[in-house]
Amino acid sequence: MNIVVAMKQIPDLQQIRIRNRQPVFEDVPLTLGPIDKNALEAAVAIKEQLEAQVTVLSAGDENVEDTVKEALAAGADQCYLVLDDALKNAESSVTAEVLAAALKQMEDKPDLILFGEGSGDNYSGQVGSRVAAILDLPQVGYASAIEVGEGKAVVTRSLENCEEVVEVTLPAVVTVIAGINEPRIPSVSQILKAGRKPKEIVEPDELNLDLENAKTDTLSNLAPETQRKRVVVKSVDELIQALTSEALIGR
Amino acid sequence: MDFNLSKEQELIQRAAREFAEKYIEPIGHQIDVENSIPPEIISGLGELDMFGIPFAEEYGGAGSGYSSYVLAMEQFGSASSGVAMILSAHTLGLGAISVFGTEEQKKKYMPKCCKGEHIASFAFTEPGTGSDPKQIATTATKEGDFYILNGTKRFISNAGFPGPLVLMAKETESGRVTAFIVEKFCEGYSISEPWEKIGMHGGPLLDIYLENVKIPAENLLGQSGFGYPILQLGISYGKVGVSSTALGGLLASYKEAVKYAKEKTHRDEPIGKFATIKVAIADLAEKYEASKWLVYRLGYLADTLKDPMQFAKEAALAKDFVCEEMINASRICMNVHGSYGLMKDYKAERIYRDSIMGSQVEGVSDMQKMIVAGVILGMK
Ligand SMILES: Cc1cc2nc3c(=O)[nH]c(=O)nc-3n(C[C@H](O)[C@H](O)[C@H](O)COP(=O)(O)OP(=O)(O)OC[C@H]3O[C@@H](n4cnc5c(N)ncnc54)[C@H](O)[C@@H]3O)c2cc1C
Repeated sequence: MNIVVAMKQIPDLQQIRIRNRQPVFEDVPLTLGPIDKNALEAAVAIKEQLEAQVTVLSAGDENVEDTVKEALAAGADQCYLVLDDALKNAESSVTAEVLAAALKQMEDKPDLILFGEGSGDNYSGQVGSRVAAILDLPQVGYASAIEVGEGKAVVTRSLENCEEVVEVTLPAVVTVIAGINEPRIPSVSQILKAGRKPKEIVEPDELNLDLENAKTDTLSNLAPETQRKRVVVKSVDELIQALTSEALIGR
Repeated sequence: MDFNLSKEQELIQRAAREFAEKYIEPIGHQIDVENSIPPEIISGLGELDMFGIPFAEEYGGAGSGYSSYVLAMEQFGSASSGVAMILSAHTLGLGAISVFGTEEQKKKYMPKCCKGEHIASFAFTEPGTGSDPKQIATTATKEGDFYILNGTKRFISNAGFPGPLVLMAKETESGRVTAFIVEKFCEGYSISEPWEKIGMHGGPLLDIYLENVKIPAENLLGQSGFGYPILQLGISYGKVGVSSTALGGLLASYKEAVKYAKEKTHRDEPIGKFATIKVAIADLAEKYEASKWLVYRLGYLADTLKDPMQFAKEAALAKDFVCEEMINASRICMNVHGSYGLMKDYKAERIYRDSIMGSQVEGVSDMQKMIVAGVILGMK
């Protein structure tokens, strides 16, 4: 069984500084998207039960080669990287084209393709669905549990008011939510072995892709303004009332 | 000159930080009050290979050197200096076996220790001596292919965990000090109740009683009469652990003070607006940064320096500076907290008590200065 996990390189959100409500990205260390890490953990958990090989797929600039070690340390067996400077801030439709082309190109045909529900930086939540559409594969979103069987998977979807259990034939695309698991902390030995795991690196033109106009320009990216309400309460009762009226408790 | 961490080092640091923040920090106060560390913490650290970071892969270690070890230790020391003390004393004991042990000794003792299933100790101090090997009273008497050990060892870290103990004893025949490997809890080995220390709670400190402990002659470490060089080099490596634990304390002081300066308000403004608090925060940042680079460099030197005297000097220099700065930093952190800093509800109180530990262990600060100046001036 071949599981591919698509993971996006993003700036470490905990280390981004905000200046004049603008995020400062300079000199911020790179990491992989937090929900992508949940997707990887889900893949590794399946691998621990069945015979499976986990491949990380990532498209981005040359830094990805180093950043992906994080995924290789956390249990992926190998990686497949599409590297080009133009892929750094690529728009979702372009990223989806690139990933779909890479998936088609892979020697070991993927049975299960996992994504995080949204990326850690933009959270547009489009890439998984777009890849499924391009490859004409079934897709299940909002996965909070995945059970793989013979040629199919049973996926629990966590929706706003209910849980839905669906069966999907493989190969399929599944996008997972953060609550699906808790990603493991890699051991020191696994971290040191990460760099020695197999990796395949391709350039976009090897996949017959033209990345002209791939970049989006961000015109404005502002931190939300939080207005403190400065409500003064004189008793616990008043506090409870205030919190209830804000729908923070007692829903 | 390159001050960047490699990706691997960055990930090791992050793994240690995540484990510390997720599992140790939330029970930091509990560890302090109960003076013990839950076994899940020890086994969790073992699974992440934190007991074997600097040791060779062929003996079960991670093979990542002391330069990675200091990065992890800083994070553990920041969450709980008791946890860091266990790792530090363990690495000191195991380090002696890794440097001076025979192939058989290394194969026998290191793999389980690197996984944290066994925890190593190093025993020099006795009721009658903490700095002077000439005064060692524990005896080793050769009987055929065995040695018989008798004596009391004081203030021994990790004495209550199973695993190997590197022990300094005086050979009755020659009067020379020799190092031996003793398996803790063998026949004739017993321990006291843990000492109640001012700080570093959870880091277990006990006395050891040896009563006719019989060990095979092959458990001699290094050579007969080689105890002093093993002690000196071992302690130099040990100072890498003590320094990085203290660096963790500096980091904790810095983080707690910054947090409080932003949270605590006077007339609706955070106290960080006051010039006095600003000076305190800047002082903490300076102390932390200076100590950090000294400790990271010491980790690098532990991996690369060949001359034991030079290394002894560098280790003494860093240990003295960083441990003293941790005391200063914990005091500043307490000042930022005002009276709240004196209360057990705040971490500042624990950091303050922990801070005095580093400057006393493995030689008090003045003794470190004697080593540093002795090497620089070429005079003992
Ligand atoms: C948390 C903790 C963990 C420890 N872990 C271990 C362990 O795992 N193994 C172990 O063996 N020990 C351990 N110890 C013991 C510790 O290493 C000794 O206590 C320390 O070396 C000092 O010895 P001492 O207390 O006997 O002081 P002493 O050696 O008696 O020193 C007392 C004072 O006299 C001064 N002094 C001593 N000799 C000289 C001299 N020649 N010239 C000038 N001044 C001198 C010292 O600087 C000091 O100020 C631990 C202690 C603590 C607190």
